[in-house]
Order: sequence, then C-alpha cells, then structure tokens
Amino acid sequence: MSPAKTGKAKIARNGEVVVSFKDAFLVHMVCGLGLAVAFWFAHNVYAVNLVSDPAQTLNLIWVIECPIVVILYSLFRWNPDQCSFLKAAMRGLLGLPAGAILNTFGAVVLGAPVGSQYMKRTVNWSILMSLFTVVPAASVFGTSWKDWHRLFAYSKPTGVLDYMICIPAHGAAIGAWFGAWPMPLDWERPWQEWPICVTYGAVAGYLAGMVVSLGFTVIYGGRQQHVKGD
Amino acid sequence: MPSPRPTPISPLLCPLSASCLEATTLVGRAASSASMSSLTCAKLMAWTIVAILLQILGISLFVFGFFPVKPALSGASGPESFRSPMCHSVEERDERNLPPQQLRSLYQDTSGIPPSFDQLILMVVDGLPAEFVLGKDDQPPTKAMMEAMPYTQSLLSNGMAVGYHAKAAPPTVTMPRLKAMVSGAIGGFLDVAFNFNTQALLDDNILGQFYDIGWEMVMHGDETWLKLFPGLFTRYDGVSSFYVKDTVEVDYNVSRHLETELNADNWNLLILHYLGLDHVGHIGGRSSNLMIPKLKEMDEIVKMIHMNKMLPEHNPHRQTLLVVVSDHGMTENGNHGGSSYEETDSLALFIGLRSKILTYASATQNAASQVDMASTLALLFGVPIPKNNVGVLMPEVFGSLTDDQWLRALELNSWQLLRLLQAQLPGLSQQSSPCNGSSYEQSSEISECVGQVEQKFCHFFSKAAVLHSSWKSKKGQTVRSINGDDFRNAVKAYDEFLRIASEWLSRRATDKPLNLLASGVATMFGSSMILLRLLFLLCKQVYFAEKQCLPNVNKCSYKWDLDESFVLGAILIVVLSMGSSSMVEEEQYVWHFVTSTLYLIFLRKAIQSVLAGPAPFLLNVFNGQNCSNYSRASSVILVLICGRILRGWHQGGVNWTHLPDISKWLEQAGSHSIKFVQIASALAIISLWSFLLYSLRLKRGFILVVQTMFLISGLLVMLHIMQCQDHMFAISGYNATSIAQIVYASLGATVIITAVASPWVMYDSMSKTQSSGKPCLVTYLSIDNQIGSTLFELRYSSYLIGWAYTASWCLLQLLLQQPINAVPILLIFVQILSSLVYFSAAGIQHKLWVEVAALYFLGMAGHFGLGNSNTLATIDVAAAFIGLSSHSTLFAGILMFLITLASPLLLLLSMVMYISMKDLKYLFVSQDEDMGRLLLSTIAFPSLVPLSLNSIMLTTFTVILLLMRNHLFVWSVFSPKYLYVCAITASVYAGVIVVAATGIYVCLIFAFLKRNSNASIRNPR
Repeated sequence: MSPAKTGKAKIARNGEVVVSFKDAFLVHMVCGLGLAVAFWFAHNVYAVNLVSDPAQTLNLIWVIECPIVVILYSLFRWNPDQCSFLKAAMRGLLGLPAGAILNTFGAVVLGAPVGSQYMKRTVNWSILMSLFTVVPAASVFGTSWKDWHRLFAYSKPTGVLDYMICIPAHGAAIGAWFGAWPMPLDWERPWQEWPICVTYGAVAGYLAGMVVSLGFTVIYGGRQQHVKGD
Repeated sequence: MPSPRPTPISPLLCPLSASCLEATTLVGRAASSASMSSLTCAKLMAWTIVAILLQILGISLFVFGFFPVKPALSGASGPESFRSPMCHSVEERDERNLPPQQLRSLYQDTSGIPPSFDQLILMVVDGLPAEFVLGKDDQPPTKAMMEAMPYTQSLLSNGMAVGYHAKAAPPTVTMPRLKAMVSGAIGGFLDVAFNFNTQALLDDNILGQFYDIGWEMVMHGDETWLKLFPGLFTRYDGVSSFYVKDTVEVDYNVSRHLETELNADNWNLLILHYLGLDHVGHIGGRSSNLMIPKLKEMDEIVKMIHMNKMLPEHNPHRQTLLVVVSDHGMTENGNHGGSSYEETDSLALFIGLRSKILTYASATQNAASQVDMASTLALLFGVPIPKNNVGVLMPEVFGSLTDDQWLRALELNSWQLLRLLQAQLPGLSQQSSPCNGSSYEQSSEISECVGQVEQKFCHFFSKAAVLHSSWKSKKGQTVRSINGDDFRNAVKAYDEFLRIASEWLSRRATDKPLNLLASGVATMFGSSMILLRLLFLLCKQVYFAEKQCLPNVNKCSYKWDLDESFVLGAILIVVLSMGSSSMVEEEQYVWHFVTSTLYLIFLRKAIQSVLAGPAPFLLNVFNGQNCSNYSRASSVILVLICGRILRGWHQGGVNWTHLPDISKWLEQAGSHSIKFVQIASALAIISLWSFLLYSLRLKRGFILVVQTMFLISGLLVMLHIMQCQDHMFAISGYNATSIAQIVYASLGATVIITAVASPWVMYDSMSKTQSSGKPCLVTYLSIDNQIGSTLFELRYSSYLIGWAYTASWCLLQLLLQQPINAVPILLIFVQILSSLVYFSAAGIQHKLWVEVAALYFLGMAGHFGLGNSNTLATIDVAAAFIGLSSHSTLFAGILMFLITLASPLLLLLSMVMYISMKDLKYLFVSQDEDMGRLLLSTIAFPSLVPLSLNSIMLTTFTVILLLMRNHLFVWSVFSPKYLYVCAITASVYAGVIVVAATGIYVCLIFAFLKRNSNASIRNPR
C-alpha cells in the first residue's frame, strides 16, 4: 500500500521530520480508507455491524486499522536517525493498551456502564479510541513528555506532523463526547446502546479532525516550518 | 522543537515576592478605587437583594398564572341542591347522612324529575375519536367507518341513539379526562401536586353520588378507575395500559366478563373501559390496519349489550341506559395529550333513550363539552349534580321529559352553577330570605350584586327565574299557545345563563392568563439579567485587579480558558436538554456527564502543571510544589471516581430504573449488609470530620469543646441507626423519636455555638500565636502571613464555621436519609473535600466563578446521586416524620425539603469552607482592611455564582414550560420538574443567605475586634 510511497520523509535539522501536504493527505486518506475497508469487511465478510454485534465489529475494525496507523505514523517517527522503524512501531503497539486504559478510564468516569456484559464492548471500543488518539503520538514521539504535553495537555500543535496527530485525536474525543448525548433519549433505537453511537461520534469526529488537520496544513503548513527552522 | 509560546497558564508565571505584592496591592488599590465606583459591596448587596426579590415575585406570578388554583368546593352535593341557593336552608345538615335507601327516596321526592333509568352501562372506548362514529363538519363518517360499525350506525339512523362531539379539555390523557367526566370539573395541576401520594378522586362526583344512594357498581377495564375510586366497586377486573403493544388481550380481559355481568342483574352501574383502540392508535395511527377490526369488535359489544338489555320487551321494570364515551381522541399518528381538534374530539353516545330522535342529522350533529356528562347523568338518574361541575345538560338526552320537568332540570343545573359562582365571586349576593316554595319574585331582587361580572350573572339568572315562575303561574290558566311561547322563552333564558356561566367557569380553570405569565417571565428575566450583570462586573473587577498584580502577562484582551468556556457551554447544553422530555426524565445522566467532563478538564489542567516542571508559580512560595501538583491531580481523580460510584448507586430516572445498580445489589444482599455499610460510612464520616478538626492545631480548648459536641451527636446518630432495625421501624418507636430529637438539638447547638463563638475565640488565639502551626488544609493557602494577620484569623474562623456547618449537615443527613444513602453522603463529602483541596492548591489557575460553578454542578450531580429524580414519586415522605412526636405539616415539610435537597444545600454550606480555602484577598484588600472590600472578596462569588446559575436555569425552564404547555407530558414531566426547579431555587436562597450571613457576621466581628485592639494599643500611649 501507500506507506512505501510516502515513506521518504525528509529530516529537518533538529530531528523532526518535515511532512509535506501530500504526505499528510495520503496518511489521512489511507487511515480513512482503512476505516471504510474495516466497516465494509465487517459488514460483508463477517456479516456483523455495530448495531448487531458491537464488540465483534469494533474488534474487526481495530484489528484492521491498527497495522495501518502504526505503520503509517512510524514512518514519520521523531528522530529517525536514532530510532528505527521497528522501534517506533513497537512504541505504537505498546501505546495501544496504555491508551486503551486511559480511554476506558475516561469513558467509565463519564458514565459508561461497567458490568460483565459490557466488558468486551468497552475494551474493544477503548482500543479503537486508543488507535485514534494515543497510538499515532506514541509511534511518533515515544516517551518524549514534552511533546505529549504540548499536544494533549495544552493542545498547541506546531507543524504539520502535530496537526496530523493532534487534531484527529481531539476530533475523535470530542466526537465521542457528543456521540454520547442521544443515549438517554427514549427513542428506543438499537443504536442508542453503549458504545454504538459513541463510536459513530468518534469516527465522525476523527474524520472531521482529518479534514481540519489538512486545512491547517494548507493554511499554516509552509509558514510554520519556516518559523521552526530558526 | 520550538520554544513554548505564551500559554494560558502564563498568568501564573508571575514571580511573586512580598514586595511585589506590597506594591501591586497599592497599585491595585489605586486602580480599583477608580473602577470600584462600578461595584461596591453595598451596591452589590442591594442589587442582589433586589434581584432575589424580583425573582420571587416573578416565580409567584408565573406559578399562579400557570397552575391556576381551582377554587374547588369541598364536600359533596346533597339534598340542598334541590333547593334554591338564594335562601338559607334550615334542616339539611343531617340529611346527607341518611341511609342510602332513604336518601334515594328523598332525592326522588325533592328533585321533581323522576329518574329515567335504573341501570347505567358506561362503556369507555379509550381514544375513540367522535369523528369515527358521527362524522365531521356535518358530514357522515366515511364509508369504511360506517361499515365498521353497522349496528351503531343503524341505531343512530333509527333514532334510538344520540351522539355528541364532546369536546375534551387538555391534557387529553386518560386520568384527568375520566375525572372531568365523572365530576364535571376541569382540574388544575397543583391539586395533583398537593396530594401526590393519593390518586383517589376526592372531589364530588357522580360515582360517589351513586354510591351514596346505595348503588352496586362493577368495573372491568383500565385500572385507572380503581386508582381513582378505591373501594367503590363491588366487582372489578383491572387491566393495565402498560403494554401498549397488546391490542387484543386488554379488550378480551374486559369482554370475557360481559356475558355473566349482563345476566347477573345485581348491579346498577357497569363500567367497561376498553383500551385496545387507544393501543391500536399508538401503534399504527388512525388509519392502522387494526383499526377497522377493532371498531367492529366495539360494535359487536354495543350490539350485544343492546340486544340483551335494551330491547324493550326484555325487562320493563329495569330500564337500562348505555352510554358509549371516549375519554379523548387521537391525532393522525395516534398520539394524544395535546389540544388539537383531533385529540379533543371525543365521543358521547347515548343508547336506549326513551324518546325517539327524528333525523340522522339531529342524532349525530350535536356538540357538547365532555364535562357535560356529569350533570346529564346525574339528573338522568336522579342524584344531585356534583358540586364542582361546570357542565350543562345535554338537551337531546332529556327528550322524554315534560315541559315542567325540563324547566326544573334546567333550574337545578342553574342553581348548582350559581352556587359554584357564588363560591368564586363573593360579590354575588347571598340573599338570606326564607324559602317557602317558589317565591321567585324575591329572587328577582338579587340584582344588588356588586361588580360587572356579577351583575351580568345576576341579570341572566333572575331573568330566567322570573320567566320560569311566570310560566308556572300561568300554567293551566292560559291557552296553550301563549304557554308555549313562555316555555320557549324560559328555556332560552336558562340556556343563556347556563352557557355564560359554564363558559366563564371552565375558562377560569383552563385559561392561562397570558399577561400574568408574560410579566412573570419578564420579571424573572430581568432579575437574572441583574445577577449576570453583577457577576460580569465582579469578574471584570477581579480581572483588572489580577492584571494590576501580575502586570507582565496577558497584555492582549481577555482570554477564555477551556474550563470557562466549557462551563458556559455546559449551562447552555443543560438548559437546551431540558426542552426534551426524556432528558428531563433522565436528568441525572446530563448532570453527571457535564460534571465529570468539567472535572476531566480540571484534570487536564492539573496535568499541565504537573508536567510543566518547577516553573515559578504564584504558589511556589511554599515547599513541596510538585508534591502539591500531584496531589491536585489525584484529588481530581478522586472526585471523578466518587462521582462515578455515586452515579452507579441509584439507577434513577424513569425509563431505566429496572437496570441493576449498587443500591439494588445491596438490598438483595440483605438488610444486614446495608446496615453494615451504613455504619461503616457513618464512622468514616465522623472520623474524617474529627481528623479535619483535629488538624486545626490551635486554640485546643475551644476545638475540644466543639469536637466533643460533634462526637456526642455522632454517637447519638449511630445509636439511632442501631436502634432502627429496618427503616420501617424508624418512624415509630418512642426511643428512636427521642434520640432523633436530641440529635436535632445537639447539632443545632454545635452549629450555633461554633458560628457565634469562633470569631471571638479565634481572634484571641491568633493575636497570641501569630505564626504557629498551620492546619493541614489551610497550609495551602498561606501566601504570606504579612498581609494582615486579621485575614488569616478570619480564614481560620470561617474554616471552623464551615466545618461545623458541613459536619452537622452530614450527620443530619445520615440520620434522615434512607440507610442505603449513607454511602452517597460520604461520597459527596469526599468529593467536596477533594475539590476544596484541589481549588486551594490551584491558586488563581481557575477563575473563581468556575470553581464555585463546579461546586454547584457537584451539588446537582449529587442530588441525583442520592436517588432523586424529576418525578414526585422519589420524594421520601416517610422519613419526613423522623423525630416528630406529633403530626406537624410544617415540620414534616421542612424535613422533606432538607432530605430532598440534601446535596445542593450541602454544597452551598461548604462554600463557607471554600471561602477560607481560597485566598483572593490580595486582589482587593489594602492594609487598612476596608470592611466592604473584605466582604466583597469573601462572599461575593460564593453567593453570586449559585444565584446567577440558578436564575438561568429557572428562567429558561420557565420559558420551556410555557412553550411546552400543550405537550403531551406537560403535566407528567415538565410540571413536576418545575416544582423541583422552584425547590432548588429555594435551597439556593437558603444556602446563599447562610453563607452571606456567616461572612458578614465574621467580618463584622473582626472589624470590631480590630478597632478595639487598635484603640487599646493607642490609648495607653
């Protein structure tokens, strides 16, 4: 697939990879397409969807999406000279359960049901959320707390790579937050169950975040890199 | 990697030293004295009080406009209703207590109208629009409908039945409509609210009248009848309307009794309430495929009853009347509840009348009001018209009466309405002339009524009465033609009076005086504008003062932090979500979600500073900066976890109450485990509080006294918990009651002694031990002891008072709440404590109003965590009698208020502690300790923010209620919620008054003591 094409990342003086708009576009498109393929695969091959079997569908989606995200973002790893591709991918894979734990905490604290019958759904959902939020940053930055801090505690992305990681992640979280609102309504629709509409919200927010991130890349991309060079 | 740009936390990166503070306070003083003209303490207080008063005025205007208190007459009509209301009767007192048979014959003698029937079959077809049977706009019903009910249509065309479009009043739901039908009155909402624990119909109604004359009554169908009339029916089979999906079984369960009941002749009234048609409508709307078969089924039942009971040769001695009615109609989609024509178009069909109706049109094109049923049925069966009836007789039904009897019937109806009018219009004169026979010349003199409306009624009534009496006197003397004219005139006059009286009375009950409502809303809106304006000015002032203190930052214009914008957005979301009935029902999700999100944002903020490393923070003055940062993050996490447990404790709401939750799980585990948990949490609360007090290492003697009193109360509460084996027993039992009373007394004493004495004691102690040990929580706030030692003392004493308030409140709630709620109390308390730790450590990282708003949010989330909901059903009525030896509505009401609003009040009381935790004084206070500024800096935010937030909620929900006045759930969902909103408003007032009074008292005492000591220092020199 396309990672081979986009793989030629240029390295700036201070160790950061310089990402062109084309690269960003391709990464986002492949991630988005990966999601679409995963949904298609779940629907047509396994004949499940989010409403009929949320746990298995989420499982399928993250299993398909995981290699795509890890590989793509590992290509843009920070300091590629000192950090091999494999190491970055490993960091991403390690970030997956860690992010899942964080997302589970957030979801449960916000009222996600806890109980044995919801366990599988919650776990699969949080792994998917972890793919949207934590894994790209883990692959790219590893344990560089300064960068994590900048991206997630302050939400101050600087540069195309930051946009690519930060904005879709925030989009997914905000989308999931808004996706929870229809749950208490008494419409008696099957998709009001945890975590179906939350997943829809998260995916929608993630996709919207990608678009916004591309927009930012177009508007600020060139200038930011210039500033950073100083 | 670029260097971090100026970030939102940069206001905090102000290197702070005593000299800076010294200088900046001077600058701040100069600046604030310029801007202070905008807001001084006195001004703020005056405006706040004005706003509160305006709000109270607005609420009362709105409530009286929206929930008209229907002046219902108590008691039931008796034989006096057959006498003129214009005269005081003498001997009627005991007549109503006659045995049924005598009462029945008395009614027969005095009424002047012989009862036309002996038996009544009231067949209620739930949700049947009259259009299906009678057609619409003078057109016969559609062909399909005609064919669906062939027997009924043949009865109509043969003149054996007469049908009415009986207009129902909103809300078009079953229970109020049944009430309207049998009592003839249109009820208000508040009488539902006032007797929320009983659904029984207590007003005078025809079923009660039938019961009084000894009727045997049987009911098969909707169990609403059983709730309305408990114990009235000799035989019954109630079906539930809960399973809307079922359209067959509900009706079969009624019809299966029909044959036996029709054969058994031992009843006078048979009520059959068929729910199936309503269910068909709910599933598929008016044009559902199931509708025609259902109508056919109903037609079969009519046919069966008619064949069995009413064909004349059957039983000449027992005359039976079949009345087919519907309680309401339905919209095209099959819903109902509103006030559209489709929903209010209900049916009243009388089958088996003695007179023959001439044409099909005159049998079908009659209009009436649903409330007319009561008076019509009453006079048909010879019982008095119910007291609160506003309906008028349906003339076609009385076709078999003679002229004399018909006029008498109209007269009886007029008398009853006149009595009701007299109750509502005191200006209608009650002439106390003796009533001998029919001296109608006298009653023509009642034109001495005062007032415009009264005079109108007087005029019409006396006109009718005069015409009636002249017709009577001429009867038999004159020729028939003149007589006929007189009769028509009299009937016309009566009709006119009845029409205007009925219209006026029913408008009183349903009409919402729009100008009253609008002025109420406008007043509330104005008051919340005042409050918001004050809050805005205060924020601006703080902002400027902050800017003066930290001059090197934030040159740009005001910057919104994430938490600020979230609080604003959350308020907006909460307010908007209240427009949806299911969000009102499930409000606990909304509050928990919003509160948790706010605390997650706080967590993010805490992490920002954890990772920021040892930056020169404002609060860096004390040691262990990083440690405190981590403790901040962990205290936020503690709040979040407690909140989640609280949320899982009671499932709450309406739609998902059946889902498992912790309280159900504990209840399954048995009462022993509940008791164990209760005692454990009580112990935890008491020991935590004692520890908090113990850590205040000064003035040991006084603290020891307070602690002892507190421990005694705690022990008594524990004793009370042990005494009551289960909560059923808690209400009774002399021992438990006296313990509870002692607890009330000792808690009250603790609070009062602490509140009154602590400023005096603390001042004394502090002046001696200036910089000795610091209490653990207060450690966080000591920026600089040099900024006026008085402030420090002030904080200590308000800490102590706040401690006493909250501790006593927790103990009180342990006593009052259900045993299962002991842990939620503990959790809320832990939440408060961790929030206070977090806020005191956060310094000025958050805007003050955000912190107070967060506490308010916690209070609301905790309110639902204690198992409350927006229905009146969750109010714990039984617990309101704990510790009351005699029944007292006032005290029980107060206790009920305290129990229901435990959590918002607790959070408001904790504001007193919050004042002591928060150090803001450097923003306002100069060395000379101006009283006004001191007050402004302490109590302004904790009292203004809850008031403003609540005013927003109140005003917007009022508007929502106004918009939803025709909604299906206006009475079941929105109106109870409005009562809760009003109650929460009251609790906010109470809490704010306590906070403000405490603040003012403490400040006054300190100012007084300070002046005294200054004087005593100066004087010796």
